[in-house]
Amino acid sequence: MFTSVLVASEYAVVANKNFKKISKADIKSIYLKKLSYMNDKKIVPINLSSRDKIRKSFEKKIFHMSFTRLKSYWTKQHYLGHRPPITMKSQKSVNLFIKKVDVSIGYMDVRNVDKNLKIIYRWSD
Amino acid sequence: MHKIIMLLLVLFSSLLCEDEYDGTYQLGDGIQVASLPLYIGGYISTDYQKTDTITRYRVDDVAMLAYGDYSKISYMLEFEFKEFYTLQDSLNKRTITKDERLHTERLYIDYTLNDNFLFKFGKYNTPIGYWNLLPVNVLRATTSTPVSNTILYPTFSTGSEISYSSYLGEGSELKIDVILQKNDDLDSTYNNYVTDEHYGIGLKYSIDDISFKIDAGLFHDILDEREKRYYFLLSNRYENDNFQLTTEIGSQFSTEDVDTRYAGYSQLVYHVTDKNTAILRLESYKEKLVKKSVIRNDNIAIFGYTYRPLYPIAIKSEYQVHSKSKKNKFLFSFSVMF
Repeated sequence: MFTSVLVASEYAVVANKNFKKISKADIKSIYLKKLSYMNDKKIVPINLSSRDKIRKSFEKKIFHMSFTRLKSYWTKQHYLGHRPPITMKSQKSVNLFIKKVDVSIGYMDVRNVDKNLKIIYRWSD
Repeated sequence: MHKIIMLLLVLFSSLLCEDEYDGTYQLGDGIQVASLPLYIGGYISTDYQKTDTITRYRVDDVAMLAYGDYSKISYMLEFEFKEFYTLQDSLNKRTITKDERLHTERLYIDYTLNDNFLFKFGKYNTPIGYWNLLPVNVLRATTSTPVSNTILYPTFSTGSEISYSSYLGEGSELKIDVILQKNDDLDSTYNNYVTDEHYGIGLKYSIDDISFKIDAGLFHDILDEREKRYYFLLSNRYENDNFQLTTEIGSQFSTEDVDTRYAGYSQLVYHVTDKNTAILRLESYKEKLVKKSVIRNDNIAIFGYTYRPLYPIAIKSEYQVHSKSKKNKFLFSFSVMF
């Protein structure tokens, strides 16, 4: 007899150690760029590439918005002169960027979080 | 004609360029020029209108956007050919009109002072209600625009704007906009009022998917030397993945000229599928020409259907039923954002 065990992937939203404590709703506002400044510094949210499974999981967990609604949101923001968050191809790049830039925020597999970063929010599939 | 060809070349060449984010261009996102703080994009709109007496074909908008930001300063430029080509058949008479002048639709600089304050200088969409913030065909729900959006307040302002926004936490936000204009319009051709003075204030509270707005102000139309006009508008919007419900209602007062007792609409946008949307809008307005004692009013029901193969491409149809049946009309449009 075989027993199969499904292990859920665990992910984390991470930021620099100086980043103040924020809620899940705040994370959504930051990624939709409704909340753009913190202590007079521009917040830099970072996305993984659009095909990355962690990004898909993040958007599903945080936004509660359909793909079409999110696309319509950013098309309207384009008309208003606002850009979506920057995208990086690897979790390693996200780690390095956040360590260097004070008010940046990203997400990744919890096993890849650099020890110098602060975990703000955790979720699993 | 060569100007429009150049503009179209710029717009379509954007399709061949790569997006800086994923290495693939996505329609409706615009593109970054080199690594400069400069993004370009644009939109086009064509429409068809049929009433009992008039048939009209039109290339309405061909527009280019350029914007970017550096540190605390950002900018927006929008140039547009408006009503570029119109062919109209009316009572067995055909007329063709062309407007090949490039208009300045928006031209402004923003300076972000801190977490809360932003200052804007230049020509911008007047931040009143919801419709007027995203007025271009491809982004709005229907080909037509509600009457209230065209009669209550100036749709464009030239001057400065002070915005105060406070993020209250848990997805809620308070925003106050102050409009200050004491000069002529930068390009008044397609402003619904030709203004040389406009002061207004708007307050918006939003939490998650619901928001409320109150706007009020006064302006002077230079085509009406007599006095200032006062307006107010109440509006709210709720939106989720399945539908969006928007209501705007307001009034305009003056003692000598047109007095808009009320003008407003309520609009339901229902997403049948990701690509198909059904729209129902109910509008009503009542105006009184004070000196002439003439009353103009109408009640309108608008039934619309929109197909978007991709979100930035809109193929729209609508039928308007007016309380005065001679005004009933059918509209169809095709619009794209780059």
